[in-house]
Amino acid sequence: MNSGNNIKTPGELTPPSASIKPLLRPGRDIFAQRAARLRRLSRESSLGSYLAFLALLSDAQQHALDRFPPLPSRSIDPVFAPGGPPLAAASWGRDGAWRAGLTAILDELSQGGVPREVRDTVADLRASTENRLERLADQVLAGNLEGVAPGELPFIAAALQVYWVQMAVGLDEPDGNRLSPSGVCPVCGSPPVAGVVHASGSEQGLRYLCCSLCASQWHLVRLTCSACDATQGVDYYTLEGSDGAVKAEGCDSCGSYLKLFYLEKDGQMEPMADDLATLALDMLLEREGKASSGCNPFFHPGEVATTPI
Amino acid sequence: MNVTRRRFLKICATGLGSSSVVALGFPVTKAQAEVRAFKLARSSETRNTCPYCSVSCGLIMHSLGDRAKNAESSIFHIEGDPDHPVNRGTLCPKGAGLVDFIHSPNRLKYPEYRAAGSDRWQRISWDEAFARVARWMKDDRDRNFLAKNAAGATVNRWLTTGFLAASASSNEAGYLTHKVIRNLGVLAFDNQARV
Repeated sequence: MNSGNNIKTPGELTPPSASIKPLLRPGRDIFAQRAARLRRLSRESSLGSYLAFLALLSDAQQHALDRFPPLPSRSIDPVFAPGGPPLAAASWGRDGAWRAGLTAILDELSQGGVPREVRDTVADLRASTENRLERLADQVLAGNLEGVAPGELPFIAAALQVYWVQMAVGLDEPDGNRLSPSGVCPVCGSPPVAGVVHASGSEQGLRYLCCSLCASQWHLVRLTCSACDATQGVDYYTLEGSDGAVKAEGCDSCGSYLKLFYLEKDGQMEPMADDLATLALDMLLEREGKASSGCNPFFHPGEVATTPI
Repeated sequence: MNVTRRRFLKICATGLGSSSVVALGFPVTKAQAEVRAFKLARSSETRNTCPYCSVSCGLIMHSLGDRAKNAESSIFHIEGDPDHPVNRGTLCPKGAGLVDFIHSPNRLKYPEYRAAGSDRWQRISWDEAFARVARWMKDDRDRNFLAKNAAGATVNRWLTTGFLAASASSNEAGYLTHKVIRNLGVLAFDNQARV
């Protein structure tokens, strides 16, 4: 017998789990990983210089998260919406610490080789009153893009992400609640950036939606529209000739689509970063009459054109 | 809890010109030009059940085309359904080879018949096939059906014919198979209803 065989012993492979984890928490290095991916994409993307800037913004987020002060512990028993998301973005009483995070991010981005427009926006935000910043935050968290300038959105959203990730990482509630429709985060109630189909471990092949605010990922059965839960008339769109790593899941019932990243094809992909590196897919889908059910807070479209649900 | 859903957003309706990218002083001309080089391809993912055995593993089949009635869709990939409670995305080696089974040049797509003594198969119609099978079954049952055993007890059994039905059948198909075949007196049969 050959002693050097390659037979696996029990425990070497991760078997598929009998129960599917409903929720995956963000890691504390989420922004550093995003920055690395943005930097890599910036070398080949047609929006390269913008992605390189967002890499700096993500670095600043990571530094702000690393230095985030401990938050006073709060019982997570939402008065506003019993049974709702424990960190509901729409109703959460924000700690002023998020603005300290914003200041740190703005300080970091006011230096270095950034365009004049970035420096101007940073200066405007640094000069803004607490009241104005809180109002802007309310608009961003409500998904009300009309209420926030395209240049200001990425900074306000970046600071809010840091605050919510800080809370989501420390959340001791096991699952969050499953909401209907399935397309909103069970932790904070925000829309997803995109979905990922995982490629390894007990999540292999499973689709999780990635929160645009707190970076939690929640499970949703594949071949299901995340906006209206339809299972019929769901189709997949890719750029012709691509390897199928990025698909848009489009729904005939509600006319929306959401991007899916198949990590089996490319394990480096990161939802926030790769969403912006694949805007061509959005442009082509809009010509087909579809509109996005996702939300990328690093990208404000300017004029807000929406379709009602 | 009833969550108020946001509206769906047209991300590029204004051609990126007034987006965050431009507002922060970054160029978009390359991204605007790039889209002209691309076309959209549409594919489907469809759930199904593995036809091989009674475990009935869940599958996701990937096919090109948009399911239009007049277009033939072509299946290019099959994976285990990770959400399926039976197999959680796993497949055995036979199941993992299903896409080759679908496209195999040797795949049987219609009834064929090899006459006794002949060295070749000939294609026949489904009606012909049903008629022949029914004829053979009837003749064999007439010859070999046992209403009573040696002790005189009623047994109503037919032991010279067996029946094997599909593994990927629904409960309803399993029920019908059971009723039809048992009623004939056949004892040697198997189908999904056993599982």
